[in-house]
Amino acid sequence: METSTPKAHEIEQGEVVEISALAPRFEEHAFPWRQIAGYAASLLLTLGALLLVERRLLPAAWLAPVILALAAVQAGLQLGLFMHLRESLGATWHVLTLALAIVVALGIVILSIWIMAFKSGVS
Amino acid sequence: MAHLLALFFPPSVLRPAELATDAGILLGGAAIVAWLTWRRRWAWLWREWITTVDHKKIGIMYLLFAIVGLMRGGVDALMIRTQLAMPNNTFLGAEHYNEVFTTHGTTMVFFMAMPFIFALFNIAIPLMIGARDVAFPKLNAISFWLFAFAFLLFNMSFLVGGSPNAGWTAYAPLTELHFNPGVGENYYLIALQITGIGTIATGVNFLVTILRLRAKGMTLMKMPLFAWSALITSSLVIFAFPALTIALALTMLDRLFGSTFFTIAHGGMPMMYVNLFWIWGHPEVYILVVPAFGIFSEVVATFSRKRLFGYTAMVGSLIAISLLSYGVWVHHFFTMGAGAAVNAFFGISTMLIAIPTGVKVFNWILTMWGGRIRMTVAMLWQLAFIPTFVIGGATGVMLAVVPGDYQFHNSYFLIAHFHNVLIGGVVFGLFSGLYYWWPKMFGWMLNERQGKWAFWFFLIGFWVTFFPQYLLGLKGMTRRIYVYPPGLGWSTLNLVSTIGAFAMGAGFIILVYSILYSWRHRQPDLTGDPWDGRTLEWSLPSPAPEYNFAVLPRADARDAWWEMKRSGSCGKVSAVAVGPIEMPRRSAVPFLLGLSFFVAGFGAVFSFWTIALFGMAGVIALLLSGWFDEHDHHEIPAEEIRRSQAALGRFES
Ligand code: HEM
Ligand SMILES: [Cu+2]
Repeated sequence: METSTPKAHEIEQGEVVEISALAPRFEEHAFPWRQIAGYAASLLLTLGALLLVERRLLPAAWLAPVILALAAVQAGLQLGLFMHLRESLGATWHVLTLALAIVVALGIVILSIWIMAFKSGVS
Repeated sequence: MAHLLALFFPPSVLRPAELATDAGILLGGAAIVAWLTWRRRWAWLWREWITTVDHKKIGIMYLLFAIVGLMRGGVDALMIRTQLAMPNNTFLGAEHYNEVFTTHGTTMVFFMAMPFIFALFNIAIPLMIGARDVAFPKLNAISFWLFAFAFLLFNMSFLVGGSPNAGWTAYAPLTELHFNPGVGENYYLIALQITGIGTIATGVNFLVTILRLRAKGMTLMKMPLFAWSALITSSLVIFAFPALTIALALTMLDRLFGSTFFTIAHGGMPMMYVNLFWIWGHPEVYILVVPAFGIFSEVVATFSRKRLFGYTAMVGSLIAISLLSYGVWVHHFFTMGAGAAVNAFFGISTMLIAIPTGVKVFNWILTMWGGRIRMTVAMLWQLAFIPTFVIGGATGVMLAVVPGDYQFHNSYFLIAHFHNVLIGGVVFGLFSGLYYWWPKMFGWMLNERQGKWAFWFFLIGFWVTFFPQYLLGLKGMTRRIYVYPPGLGWSTLNLVSTIGAFAMGAGFIILVYSILYSWRHRQPDLTGDPWDGRTLEWSLPSPAPEYNFAVLPRADARDAWWEMKRSGSCGKVSAVAVGPIEMPRRSAVPFLLGLSFFVAGFGAVFSFWTIALFGMAGVIALLLSGWFDEHDHHEIPAEEIRRSQAALGRFES
C-alpha cells in the first residue's frame, strides 16, 4: 500500500508544511477499498443495534451492554479508518487529544447519569 | 395545489410585517441581479468569490453575512423592545412575539456571532502565524457555504412555511410535534444541523492550521494570543458541537419520523434534551467569548505600545477556562430539580471560572499600565469592554449561587446578565477586531471620527437598555412574556430600556453608514502597518496578495514583527529568495455542496422526501468528485510573484 504522508522525523514541530503535504493523501493510487469496507461495516453495526431493539432479539438485561459494545467497535473502526489514527505526523497530539476526548466523553456520560438520576421521581 | 399553498403560506407568514419584508427582499434581490447584469459582474462574482478558496476572501464573505445577521437579529430585538415599551401593548401578538424572540436569539448566536468570529479567524490567523492559507482551503470554503445556505434556509422560514417559535433553546416538549405542528421548528433543526457541520469542519481546520502551519521558529509559546484563542476555540468546537448535533438529530427524529426520545407520553425524557443542549451550550458561550479575549489581547498591546503583560498566565487561563467550561452546564437548569449535591457541584465549578477570567482582566489592565495609549476606535471598544464584561461576570457569579438562581432564573435579571457578557464581551470584541483588521482586509481605513460616534451611541444605548432589565428582573418580570399589565412598577423601566435599544440601533446605523462613507472617501493604507502593529500580519501589504508571503517568514520572538522592526528589517524581501508557490485552485464544489444541502434541507423541512433524496444524492456525488480530484493545486511562477511584489514596492533595494 502506497502512502505519501511524510514521516514524523521529516517534519519537526512548528516547521512550515506546504499545504499539499497536509492533505490526507494516503492510498493515492489504489481504490479506497478499506474505507468503503469500513463504511459498510459501520452501517451493518448500526443496523444490528437497531434490529436488536426493534425485534427484541435479546433479553432486556443484555441489550444495553451489547449495544454499547457494538458502539465501541464502531468507534474504533472509524478512528482507525477515517480519522487517520494510524498515520500521524506527530503522535503527541493524537495521544493528547484522544486522552482529552476520553475524559470529556466519560465526564459527560457519568455526570449526565448523575444529573438524570432524579428522573424517576419526576416523570 | 391549494394544499401546497396552505403549507407554504400559512396565516403567520401573511402578516403585514412579513409581507413588507417579502416585498423588500424581492425588490432588493431584483436590484442586485439588475446591477450584476448591467455591470456584467456575474463571471467576476463566480470566479473571484463564489468559487474562491482563499481564506482572506472567505473571511470577507463571512463578515458580510455576519453584518446582515446583525441587522436581522437587531430588527428582531427592536420589535421585541417596541412590543414591551408599554403595558398592554398590541404591536405584536403572542404567537408573533414567540417567533421574534426565537429568531432573534438563534440569529444572533448562529448567524451573527459565529460567522463574525470565523470572519476574523479567516482574515487574521493564517497571516498572523505566517502561513499561506489554512490547512484545508477547500474544506474552509465548504464550511462557509454550508453556513451561508443554512443562513438562507433559516431566514426563509418567516416567508415560506412559518417561523420557529420555541425559543433559541428549542426545549422539548415545546418542540414536540403534537404541541407544535407546522414546519417552523423543522427549519430551526435542519438549518442549525447544516451550519453545525460547517462549524465542526472549521474547528478541525483551524486546529490543524495552527498546530501545523506556523512560521519557522514560532513555537506555541511564541504565538500571538489571538492564535491561542483560535486554537482553544477550535478545540471547544470539536468537543462541544457533537452534543448539539445529537440533541438536534434526536428532536428531528421525533418530529419527522415519529420516534419518542423526548416524548414523555411514550417514555421519552425531555430533560435529557435540556441536558444535551447545555452540554454544548455552555462551551458555546466560551466559543463566542474566547475569540474576543484574543482580539483584546492583540488590541491592548498594540495601542498601549507594550508587550502583553503576563503572556504565560494569559495562555494558562485560556486553557483553564476551556477545561472548566465543560463542567458547568447544569447552571442553566438548576431549577429542574436535580437535587442539592448536583446543584452544589455545578454551582461551585461555575464560580471557579471567575478565577482565570479575573486573571485575564488584571493582565489587560496591567498591559495598559504605564503604556502610551492611543485612543483609536478599536481601543475604545477594549476600554468599554473591561468594566462591562466585569459587571456581566459578577452578575453571572450571582446566578451561580443556587438558592439565588431559584429567584433570578428566567427573569429579566438573566436576560440582562447574558446580554452584558454577549454584547459587552463578544460584540464589543468583534467590533474592536473589525476596526483593527479592517485595513488589512480591504486596504483602506475606517473613518475614526464616525466610528467614535457609533461607539458612544452603542455603549450608552447598551447600558440604558440593559441596566433597567436587571431591576425589572428583581421586580419579578420574567423573560419571554409578550405583554404585562400596568401597575406592577415595570412600565417606566421598560420604556427606558426600549429607548436604549433604539440608541443601539442608531449606533449600528452610524457604523454601517461609516463603512459606506469610508469606502467612497477612501483613505488608503499604503504601509500595510497602519497601527504600528506587533504581529506578522502587519508585515504584509494591505490587502495581502493571494499567496500572503512571497517568502515565508521566520518568527524567533513573540511579537515577531515588532522585533523585526526594532532590528531594522522592514518587511521587504530579496528578489532572489522568491520561488514558485503552490496554491490551492478555486473550486465550484463547496458552493454546489452548500446548494445540495439546502435542497436536501428544504425537502426535509416539508417532508418532501423526493426532493430531500435528490439533494442528498447531490451531496454524495460532490463528495465523491472531490475525493478523486487530483487537480486541486496550481503553481504561481516565481516571475509572477516578483512582478506583484515589485508593484507593491516590497523588494529590498
Ligand atoms: C441590539 C441589542 C439587543 C437587544 C435590545 C436585545 C434584546 C433582547 C430581549 C429584550 C430579549 C428577551 C426577549 C424575551 O425573553 O421575551 C432578548 C433575548 C435574547 N437575546 Fe438579545 N438583544 C440584543 C442583542 C443580542 C445579542 C448581540 C445577542 C447574542 C450575541 C443576543 C442574544 C439573545 C438570546 C440568546 C436571547 C434569548 C432568546 C430566547 O429567549 O430564546 N441578543 N434579547
Ligand atoms: Cu453556562
